[in-house]
Amino acid sequence: MTKKPKLPIRILVYCILSIILVMINLPFIWMLVTSFKEESDVFAWPPKFYPTIFSFDNFRGAFSLIPMGRLLLNTLFVSLAVTISQLVFNSLAAYGLSRFKFRGRDFIFYLLIGTLMVPGEVIIIPLYIIMRNMGLLNSYGSLIVPFMTSAFGVFLLRQFFMGIPKELEDAALIDGAGRLKILWKIILPLSKPALFTSALFTFLGRWNAYLWPLVAINDANKQVIQVGLSQFSGDWMTQWTWKMAATTTAVVPIIIFFFFVQKQYVEGIRGIGIKG
Amino acid sequence: MKRKAKDVLIGWLTIVPALSTQIMFIYIPLIWAFYISFFKWNMIRPKRFVGWANYEKMLTNPDFWHSLWVTVVYVLGTVPVAIIIGLMLALLMNMDWLKGKGIFRTGFYIPVITAMAAAAVIWTWLFQADYGLINWFLSLFGIKNIGWLNDPDYALTALIIVGIWKRVGYNMVIFLAGLQVIPKVLYEAADIDGASNWAKFKNITWPLLTPTTLFVTVLQIIASFRVFVSVDVMTKGGPLDSTRVITYYLYESAFENMKFGYASAIAVFMFALLMTLTLIQFRVSKRRTFYA
Repeated sequence: MTKKPKLPIRILVYCILSIILVMINLPFIWMLVTSFKEESDVFAWPPKFYPTIFSFDNFRGAFSLIPMGRLLLNTLFVSLAVTISQLVFNSLAAYGLSRFKFRGRDFIFYLLIGTLMVPGEVIIIPLYIIMRNMGLLNSYGSLIVPFMTSAFGVFLLRQFFMGIPKELEDAALIDGAGRLKILWKIILPLSKPALFTSALFTFLGRWNAYLWPLVAINDANKQVIQVGLSQFSGDWMTQWTWKMAATTTAVVPIIIFFFFVQKQYVEGIRGIGIKG
Repeated sequence: MKRKAKDVLIGWLTIVPALSTQIMFIYIPLIWAFYISFFKWNMIRPKRFVGWANYEKMLTNPDFWHSLWVTVVYVLGTVPVAIIIGLMLALLMNMDWLKGKGIFRTGFYIPVITAMAAAAVIWTWLFQADYGLINWFLSLFGIKNIGWLNDPDYALTALIIVGIWKRVGYNMVIFLAGLQVIPKVLYEAADIDGASNWAKFKNITWPLLTPTTLFVTVLQIIASFRVFVSVDVMTKGGPLDSTRVITYYLYESAFENMKFGYASAIAVFMFALLMTLTLIQFRVSKRRTFYA
């Protein structure tokens, strides 16, 4: 590992990695190619490996069948609402759990962390009933309210807050600043990387969510993109060029987004090694 | 003194939103799931207490055992391969002289951040029997059209391939982190002794990576045990129930057959199983932090 191997071996390693890189991303390449094909080209054998139409006809077609714009906006709205709510409430709780001493604090911490052991599908039936009783079923509320806070986010931020030296706050406390002001003026500005990472996990987690929206929403106009896309694609009558155009619309923005944030995201995964 | 009392109050208040929502939307539903599992209930007629009947029905129902079996096959098919490929990629990516690491890492990671639902739609297209890319590729080697998602013998294999594809990048990142904490001095010492690459891997890398490997293994077993999205999008549990994994069975029992009591018994079973795995995971991650 320490010695630099000979040139042929290095070239071989680059080749292997490049081939795997292309193979892993082949589904996305094929999705893009298909979304710019004529319908008849889909049935070509051997397949055509290049786009045949350089227009957005397939996208227009797909958009005429499902309200793509609406679905994307629904998902964006729900994901952002959950992310913002979690940033606020998770950092509050994390601050309380890392800076205040009171009886039962550790118990509460473990109680919160314990929820990480409960998989979503196990509680999906009672959650469905609760949402029905609250009158939130089939509304954005059902996609937001149960996810307003998360133990994972509290845990992540608490770890970070505990690493911030207490001395920074002491001076402000002596000056008579309130606790919440300290959180807002001192702790949060120092915690930007942790806040960003946790917001990223939350946002992508909500954006990619599937099972719960599938159960909670049955109005096509309130649905999220993932469920809407899969229902659209489940119809075998629809042509593949249109399906791939719709999928491209759903997938490409997130991949581009990921290129910009990948560093923080991967660092986060590495640091915690919990969430995927 | 007054300040202290006020502090305690504020301390409590900061926790209230998180604590109350977590109790309301996780602990209460969890207890409720146990409760419902003792009733016969379709949400239309009032529920009727049936004792352990749902559990008896579950444990004597071949459908339940079948779904458990399908899930176990899926887990065994997905996890080891995804871990081995992830480890190999991490070893290649850990070379000091390698340039463009960022590009490779990002590229390998794209499937992990892509929504499974969207990925599953693409894979359905790739697995099409007649005009799919995969069958075209196989035809180059003289392999005749495989039915994949329409063939009970191949549908689960198709899902396993998708599962591996989705997880490899994540494993790679975790392994890379594990590799980077192995002290370089060990390799230098081995170099002086003239050790071969294989000897270095066998005697240094692999043993010191054990905590990471254990951690990734348990984590991936839990994750793939919960597989649902690819099944719902690609096969709906078919053909001939060959891909009806346990989460899909739970979903079907509850939201298609309206047997909420019975489905809750399945949920409780899943909880017990995943809980056991999670406790193992906690053990393992404690060891991991100890080493790292």
